[in-house]
Amino acid sequence: MRRHLLRGLVLVYVGALIAFPLGFIFEQVASPGWSALSAALSNREMTSAIWLTVRVALVAVPLNIAFGVGASLWIVRHPSRFTRLLDALIDVPLAISPIIIGVSLELAYAQNGWIGRPLAAWGIHVLFDYWAIVTASIFVSLPLVSRQVMPLLRTLGTHQEQTAQTLGAGRLRVFLTITMRSIMWATAYGVSLTMARVIGEYGAVLVVSGNIAYVTETLTLNIGNNFENFSAYQGFVGASVLALASIVVLMVLSYARHRERLRHEYRP
Amino acid sequence: MSIVLRDISKSFGSRCVLDRISDEIPSGSMTALLGPSGSGKSTLLRIIAGLETLDDGVVELHGRDVTRVEARHRRIGFCFQDYAPFNQMTVHDNVAYGLKVRHVPSTQRRREVDELLRLVRLSDFADRYPRQLSGGQRQRMALARALAIKPEVLLLDEPFAALDAQVSGELREWVRSLQRELGITTILVTHNQSEAMEVADRLVILNDGRIEQVGTPDHVYDAPATDFVHSFLGPLTRWRGAPVRPHDLVLRTSGEGCDARVVDVVRLGFEVRVVVEEGGERSWVQLTHGEARELDPVVGAPVAVRRR
Repeated sequence: MRRHLLRGLVLVYVGALIAFPLGFIFEQVASPGWSALSAALSNREMTSAIWLTVRVALVAVPLNIAFGVGASLWIVRHPSRFTRLLDALIDVPLAISPIIIGVSLELAYAQNGWIGRPLAAWGIHVLFDYWAIVTASIFVSLPLVSRQVMPLLRTLGTHQEQTAQTLGAGRLRVFLTITMRSIMWATAYGVSLTMARVIGEYGAVLVVSGNIAYVTETLTLNIGNNFENFSAYQGFVGASVLALASIVVLMVLSYARHRERLRHEYRP
Repeated sequence: MSIVLRDISKSFGSRCVLDRISDEIPSGSMTALLGPSGSGKSTLLRIIAGLETLDDGVVELHGRDVTRVEARHRRIGFCFQDYAPFNQMTVHDNVAYGLKVRHVPSTQRRREVDELLRLVRLSDFADRYPRQLSGGQRQRMALARALAIKPEVLLLDEPFAALDAQVSGELREWVRSLQRELGITTILVTHNQSEAMEVADRLVILNDGRIEQVGTPDHVYDAPATDFVHSFLGPLTRWRGAPVRPHDLVLRTSGEGCDARVVDVVRLGFEVRVVVEEGGERSWVQLTHGEARELDPVVGAPVAVRRR
C-alpha cells in the first residue's frame, strides 16, 4: 500500500514537472495542422538561429573535449599545487548562475575590459559576436567532460600504459589504444552532457550575444524572443525542435552510460 | 645475454631508495630480487625495464649500454603485480598487441599468438575479455603478452602475490619449468623468501636500498653474510645467546644432563614446535611430525638441547 502511494507520488511529481509540460508543447505544435507547422518550421529567423546553434556547438564541443581530456590527464597524472587549484576552479561554472558567467564575460570582453581592450587594439571584437556565444558556451560546460573522465583515469592507473610501452608502443599509440580506449565511453557521456548544455544555454548567451536577429540569435534566444513578441506558436515550434534535439542527445547519453556501467560492473 | 648493473643509485626527494647497486645477472638464470617492502627491489626492476629514470649508474644488456634507452626500445618483457590486462581487448588482442606494434603481418601474427596461447594453456579463452578470466589465467595471459615480443629478458614484479596459495603454488612450478624450457633470463621481485627459494636459482637480497648478499638459495641460507639475511631467510631462534635456526637444534628427552624444560608444544601438521627454557632463556626447536612422536615432549618435562 505504502509502496503504491510512493510510486503514485513519484509519477505525479515527474509527470507534473516534466512529462505534462513537455507533452503540452508538442500538443500545441501539432494542433493547428500541417500547413501552419511547415510555415513555422521554415521561418527564416528560426532556421538561421538553429544554424547558429549548430555552428556554436560544432566549435565549443570539440574544444571542451580537448580541454576536458587534457586537463583530466594533467590533474590526475601530474598532481601539484597548480593542478589542485585548477581542479577546484573547473567546478566554478557548475556552482554559479549562468547569468553571472554572462555578466562577468561581458565585463572582461567589453572594449574597456581587461581582455577586451588588448583584443580591441588588435581589431578583434569578441562581444556581441559569434565568438562571444562560443566563449560563453565553453565556459558554462567546462567541467562536464573532465568530471566524467577524471575518476576513471584515477582507477585506470598507469600500469596498462607502461606495459604497452615495454611492448614497443610509442606515446601516441599508447594514448590512442590504451588511454583513450579506456576512457572512451566516459568521454562520450561527458560530450553528450556538454552538447545538451551548449545547445540549451540561455542566460549567459543572452548577456554576451546582444541577441541580434540573424546574427547572434541562437535557438534558445529565438524561442524566448518569440514568446516576448507574442508569437507563441513560433515559440512552441522552436521549443519542440530544441526538445527533440535534446532527446536525441539524451538517448546517446543513456547508451554511453549503459556501456560505462557494463565496463565497471565487470571490472576485476 | 647477461644484465650488468653498475653503481645504480636512485632517490625520491630526500629518500635514497637505491644506493650504488652493482650486480651481474648471468644469462639464462632465474634471479630473485628478495627483500622487505621498501627495500628498493621494485624500483630496481623498473629501472632495468626503463620505466623509471636513475640518478646515477649504468644498465647494460649483453654488453649494450641501455641506460638512456627508452623502455619501448629495450625489448624487455615486463609483468606487473596486477598483470595490467588491457581490459578493452580480448585475450587474443592482448597477446597480439606487441606484434601489432611491430607490424608483424596478420597471418603470422595469428599463428604466433595461437602458439603462445597454447604455451600458456589459454587457447580456449582467446575470445574472452580479461575480466572473464581468473587471477591465474590473467597472469598467464600477461606472461604470453610479454613473451610475444620475444624479449631477451623477462621481468616479473611480485608475480604470485595476488593469487591464493594453491594457484600460486601451481604457477610457481609452471613458471619455473617454462623459464627452463625457454632459457630466457628472468628477474622476479618478491618479498616472500620461500617463493624466491623455490623459483629462483640465484638470490639477490636487498635491504634499505643496498645488496646484503648474492648467491644460490642454498648458499645464502646456509652461509648468511649478515644478520639481516640470517633473520630474513628463515625461522630464527636464540640458543645460549647466539642466533640459530630452530631445525639446527636437537632435542633429547631422556638420559643425563637434562637442564632444559619444555614450556610449550605447538603442532602445525608436519612441523612441531617445541618451546624450551634453559637458564632463563627461551628457544624453540623445530621437529618433524615423526620426530615428535618418537620423543613425545610433554609440557613441564626435563629435556636436553644441543646444536646439530
